[in-house]
This record gives sequence, C-alpha cells and structure tokens, in this order.
Amino acid sequence: MNDDIIMEVRNLKKYYPIKAGMFGRVVGQVRAVDGVSFRIRRGTTMGLVGESGCGKTTVGKTLLRLNDKTSGDVLFKGKELFDLTKHELRKIRPQLQIIFQDPYSSLSPRMPVGEIIGEAVREHKLVPDAEFDDYITKIMRACGLQPYHKDRYPHEFSGGQRQRICIARALALNPDFIVCDEPVSALDVSIQAQIINLLEDLQKQFSLTYLFISHDLSVVEHISDTVGVMYLGDMVEYGTKKDIFAKPMHPYTQALFSAIPMPDPTVKMNRIILEGSIPSPANPPKGCKFHTRCRQCMEICKTEGPKRYEAGNDHFVVCHLYGK
Amino acid sequence: METKNKKSFGTQKLDDERRVRVLSPGMLVFKRFVRNRLAITGLIILVVMFAFSFLGGILTPYGQSQVFKHDEAIMKEYATCVQSTDYRFTVRPGADFPDAAHPQAMLAISKNSNSFTFGDKTYSLLKDGDDLYSVGDALKIASATTLAGKFSLNPVAETGFVPSASFSAAAQAAIEAKQTQFSADGTIYTIANEGKASSIFHVESIALATKRVFDPYTEGDQQLTASFAFRYSVEQARVKGEQTFTLDGVEYAISGESNDLIISAKEGSAQTPVCSVSDILVSPNANDIFLTGAFKTAAREALRAKEAKFSFADETGTNVDYRIDRVNTTYTVRTLKESRVITMFSFPSFTHPLGTDSNGMDVMTRLMYGGRISLMVGFVVVILETLIGIVLGGISGYFGGWIDTAIMRFVDLFNCIPFYPIVMIIGTVMDKMEIDPIKRIFILMAVLGLLGWTSIARVVRGQILSLREQDFMIATEATGIRVSRRIFKHLVPNVMPLLIVQATMSLGGIIITEATLSFLGLGVKYPLASWGSIINAATDVHIMTNYWFIWIPAGLLIVLTVLGFNFVGDGLRDAFDPKMKR
Repeated sequence: MNDDIIMEVRNLKKYYPIKAGMFGRVVGQVRAVDGVSFRIRRGTTMGLVGESGCGKTTVGKTLLRLNDKTSGDVLFKGKELFDLTKHELRKIRPQLQIIFQDPYSSLSPRMPVGEIIGEAVREHKLVPDAEFDDYITKIMRACGLQPYHKDRYPHEFSGGQRQRICIARALALNPDFIVCDEPVSALDVSIQAQIINLLEDLQKQFSLTYLFISHDLSVVEHISDTVGVMYLGDMVEYGTKKDIFAKPMHPYTQALFSAIPMPDPTVKMNRIILEGSIPSPANPPKGCKFHTRCRQCMEICKTEGPKRYEAGNDHFVVCHLYGK
Repeated sequence: METKNKKSFGTQKLDDERRVRVLSPGMLVFKRFVRNRLAITGLIILVVMFAFSFLGGILTPYGQSQVFKHDEAIMKEYATCVQSTDYRFTVRPGADFPDAAHPQAMLAISKNSNSFTFGDKTYSLLKDGDDLYSVGDALKIASATTLAGKFSLNPVAETGFVPSASFSAAAQAAIEAKQTQFSADGTIYTIANEGKASSIFHVESIALATKRVFDPYTEGDQQLTASFAFRYSVEQARVKGEQTFTLDGVEYAISGESNDLIISAKEGSAQTPVCSVSDILVSPNANDIFLTGAFKTAAREALRAKEAKFSFADETGTNVDYRIDRVNTTYTVRTLKESRVITMFSFPSFTHPLGTDSNGMDVMTRLMYGGRISLMVGFVVVILETLIGIVLGGISGYFGGWIDTAIMRFVDLFNCIPFYPIVMIIGTVMDKMEIDPIKRIFILMAVLGLLGWTSIARVVRGQILSLREQDFMIATEATGIRVSRRIFKHLVPNVMPLLIVQATMSLGGIIITEATLSFLGLGVKYPLASWGSIINAATDVHIMTNYWFIWIPAGLLIVLTVLGFNFVGDGLRDAFDPKMKR
C-alpha cells in the first residue's frame, strides 16, 4: 500500500445558514458537517457510510470545492484547496472528479455522449486534437461503452450505461481522486455489481483514489480499504475495513452493521433496532449527538461531547464507552 | 472501425444495438411533432396564412389603400314640382307698395275685405277673378300747374303715363273749375290742389296678387315675363277669357287650359311661345339650370295625368326619361345622371373576390396587408418579449440572491400595470400627437413587448433555477468548464424548448391583443390595414347584417391564425416533453 496521503481533511465544518424574515436574517445554522477529519492514501478507497442526511454528500462536495466550507482544512496533495485562486482551481479541477448518484440528471439531455465525455478534455486541452477521437474511444472502451455510442444521446441509455458514461466523463480527465457519491444506489443489483467491478478495475488500471459514499454497507465492505462512519455531521468511527467490519466499536456502527441482510434465511439476525429518527442537524442534541437513540446511553453522554479514542491501527471511535 | 461498422450494416444481427437509428433530441422532437396531426394542421394553417399575407400582398394587383371608383347612372333629383298655394305679388314699377305691406294684403285676401292699411296709407283690394286680386292705390300720374293763365301738364315719368289730348283738356277744365274729380277716356281721375300746383291721381292697380306662376319659355323671355305690365295683361285677359291681348304694340295669343296657359307672341302668322302660366310651380334642383317652358309644360302635363314618368327631348334632341316621385304635396322629378362614384360595398366578384368595403377598398387586398401587419406585430413583439425575458430571467435565475429578488419584484411591479388602460392612454396620446400610422405600429410593438415580457422572464428564471441544481450543471463545475460554455452549451439548450413553446403560445395571444386594440381604434390606423381594424366595420349594424364579406373573413383569419399558433405550440410542447405521450 502506498503511504503518501492524497487527501487530508482536518476538522472540516460546513454550516448552512437558516434565513428568516424579509431581510434574510440568519436565525440558525444547519450543521451539515460538524468537524470531520480523515486521510485518504493514494490508490485506496475510503468508504463513507451513514444514514440519509448525515452529511456524507456534503463532505464529498466540499472536498471538490463544489461547496464552500465553514472552517477546517481540505488538503489535496498537501495543498489547501480553498486557498487556490479561480485560475489555479480550474487547472487542478481535472484531478478531482465526482460521480453522481442519479445517472439521469447528471447528463445533459441535449448533448451526445461523445461530447459529454470529451467536452472537458477539450476544454483543458488534455490531449492533442489529432488524438482526441482515439482518446475518447479508448476511455469509452475502458468504461464498457461502445465507440458507436458516441453520437447517441443520454436518453437512449439505461441507468447502468448512463453511470458508465458518468464514470467515463470523470475518467477522461485522468483524475487522481474521484468522489463516488452513491454511484450505485440508483441501479438495480446486477448492474450495481458491474459498476462496482468497473470502478475496481479502473482503480487498478489508472491508480485512482476513491471516496466512496454509500449507505449500502455490503458495497462499502466490498470496495473499501478504510471506512468512515458518519452520524449527524460527525465522524463517529473510522478504521480499516477489516477492523470496522470485524469489530465495530461505536454503538451506532454496531446498529448499522447489524442491519446488513444475510443472504441466508436460516441465520437468525441479531438486529439492533434504533429508535426514533435522526435529530435535526439544525438543532443537534447536546452532549453526544447519538445519545437520544443510543442503547448504551450514559448520564455523561447527555451533557458532554465524547472525545476521540484511538484503538490502534488508525482505528478511532468517538464514544464515552471507550478510553475511560 | 466506425466506417467498417457502417459498411457491414446489412450483416448485423437482429439484436444488434446499432440497428437502432440514432436520433438527436432535436430530431426526436421533429419526429414527434410531425406525427402530431393537430400540430401539422396548425402548421399548414400558419403556412397558408403566411403565404396569404406575404406572397398575396406581392401578387395582388391592388394596393392596400387603393380606392375603387366606377361610373354609375344614378337617379338624381332634377326638379321639384309643387302646387302653388301662395299668392305672389308683382308690383308696378314706381308704386308705393313695399314688401312689408305684402302680409297685410294676404291677410285682407283671406278675410275677404276690400281694403287694408299699411302705415298711414290705405290700399283698396279688388278681386279680379279666380285666384287673382289687384291692389289699388291713388297713383300720382301727373302734376299740373297754372302759371299766368298758362296750363302745363307734367306726367310722372316712372308710371309711363302718356297724357292724351282729351285727358289734358279734361284735366285743365277740371282744375280750372276747381273740381276734385274728372273723367277722361272713360277713366276717373282725382285732383288734389296744392296752391298753384295740382296733382292728378289715378286709382289704379299698383300690384297684382296671383297664385299663378309665370315661367319664361326661354332665357331671353325672363325680363318680359317678370314685368308687371305683362303679367297684369295676361291675368286680365285670362280672367276675362280673352284669347289675345296687346302690349307695347305686340300682339300675344293665349292658348291652353285655364290652369296651364301658354302665351305666344304673334308675328304675322307665326307664334312664338314666350311664357307659360300655371298654378304648378316647377323649380330646378340645381341653381345653375334653366328649365325651359316646354319642359315645365311637359312635367305639368305628366303631373296632371298622374303619370309616374315622362320623357322630354333635351337640347340635342335625345329623349331623356324622367321619373316623378311624390312626397306629400311635393313631386320630385328625377333623372338618370352619369357620375363617378366610389365602389362601396360591392359584393364579391371576379375583380374583387371579397368585395369592397365602405371606403371602396378591396377587402381581399386589405386582408393580405392586414395579415402582414398582424403577423409581423406578433413576431416582433414575441421576439422583443423573449429577448427581455431571457436576459432578465436568465440573470435572475443564474445569479440568484438579491439580484433575483430585485428582478422578481420588478416583474411583480410590471404585472401590476393595468394593461388596457395604459395602452388606451398611449393610444390617445398618439392620436393627439397625430403620429404617422407606420410609426404608430412600431410604438405599439414596443409597448406590447415592454408590457409582456414578465411571464417569459418567470419561465426562464424558473427553468434556470431548476437546471442550476441539476447534477449535470454541478458536473460542469467539477470538470472545470468555463462559465460562458456552461451557459450557452448547457443551460440555453435546456431552456430553449420551454421558451419556444412559450413564445409560440403567446404569439396567438399577441395577435388577439393587436386585433383587439386595432378594433378599438388604438392600434393600427387607417389607411393601414389590420385584421382587427377591418372587423371594426362590423360595429355598424347595417354593415354587419348586410355585408358579411367585409368582416367575417377577417374574423376567420384571426381565429384560424390563433388556432394555428396554439396547435403548433401544443404540438411543440408535446414533442419537447416525451412524458406527455398520449
């Protein structure tokens, strides 16, 4: 495993202001991301899991500077991404790419596929004009698309094919780091497998680094090297895939993992049912944000925020149960 | 590789994807549009309308404000006949009988009295016969003076009295005998003494009142027939039933019935009619026409025979037909006169397929030119609206924030402007300033465009707001595509369909608005044509009920055009939105 860190996030916060009244006075803040830190090594995949609305996608978009951040650092190859000028940012754009969840809305309906994939390549002059067609053909082949698809329009493709087009668009810019924002959740299972395998193949072929956002734990287990678990804007547990799946420490992670369905009807599942719904990120609970739904809730959890507990081998958990 | 695939097309398997024809979104829209029967109907209607308006205007031989005229023989009033019921006075020259005294005489006639007073003078009234009275006055015909035993007699020149020898002798005798009265030649004269001078008076007719009308036969006879002496002689002869009389040494013969007499001057055995005397007044309708006695006689004969028409030979000898129409006691003589008239309300014919309107203009040609204006106004206004709408709506949607708020409040403000009152005020102002009709159209376009862009701005803003949040727009940011390309390659093509539909749909509305304004007289003005102003003719009930060909075609054209635009708009909407499949 290559040790150099391609993406480092330190205490990243992203708050959305809540405006009210005629003059848009700020009356509160939605804490979408509330102090998240992690590192991703080159050539690895980090899985980011959590319930809907816990801030996974916001983290992904902020890493590409598609959102503004509120505070914290985003270091891409050791450089603060938010310090770049517009011109520098445009130059660095091809290295950071994203694959969206919805393959239907992520392709412009009035553009042929070849144009969609090649537009940014031409924009950044990544390949000479003479080699342009061959280059696009090569990328399309690598993503499992046929060259004759070039002149077709997105509406003629199935969801899986569209996702391949999205991957091709990202790949064509020869990126180092790709945020995969739930790339398979809109696809049916057989197609999911194809796309996951494609992503894995491409990772090997082009030595890509992925931030794989998903709420599908089995997919994350399949593709990730490291896994971060998010709850209400916080990263509650982080570690290698092996550690996390073998030995989940945070009660939320345990509950989450207990919900992975077993493909064997005879096995009795020991599910931990979480009660209630996720609290509003605009008004998060005091103390540990998870205490309202935690089975192992203690008095301290309600008043005091837990600290990070390092369990070794880059595995940490943020919970009062550990490190006393 | 590509070319090889295309070459081996015939050998492809049935399930080969490449067998499926690839259509761009534009082609797909076109295909769906073409399959929509209603939309094609609309398109055909519009093509026909455009051909009609733009080609028709070129092909038609007429101009849009060309007035057609033709020669037409119309029955024109020529003369008026009326039974004479009033007494007319003819006053002897030099007599003291002013016009103001005439009513007194009339009053006396109606009272059957034999004298009346005017001022300090008393006149005698004498009924000479049927419808004939004479006003009598002691007329001073001569003055006599006796100076140193010498008697001299001076006749008053104006009366035309010529004293005869016997008159002079009788007068001298009477004056010397200081008599107040004497008679000579069978006429009684009175004498008034004023010292050495004496005035000799003769009670004499100074005026005659008659219902009869004296008409000169020719223009040369006017002076004679108007003279008191002539009239007096004629009337006296008529009343006495005489056939001839002599005046100034000319012998005149009287012929005809008692109501219609013809007086002819005798010259040897030849008789020349000089005057007709009748109780029917025949007067020409135009001042400069002289009606000959012969014509009047012919008219009177026809009238008495209760004929509805008669013919009379004019100067050139051709017979002209006259028609007599009666209104109460007035008879109007009409005759056909050739004149140049405007071809108003001519019914559809080969030369005017839709007839002519109230101004004598070809309706078909006006419809063609009107169509040009109506369609042109529609298109220019829509283009104007769309341009303003795209720019403001686009800025509003793309930048958002306070710019969006400001522009949207501006849109609200524009929506609050009451459309018709504003347009009416502008129309009135333009009327007052007497703006050239062509300039008026441009001002109208500008006003309609400025008042109508808000809905398009809203649509564009809404569409851009929703597109901005779409993943493919975020992807363009992530892939680092520059802003101009993002707008023109990604946003605009996705806004266009909606815009095209919106613009097509509003075209119909604008054409209706233009027609309404022109109908109300605020839009396109005469002599320029517009479908709305052509329909304006139907505000006249007479035209609406009798001349359908003026307003129904214009109405149909408006209905068809708007229908066409709506069909095409609907078709485009369905074509752009494949989810709307039926």
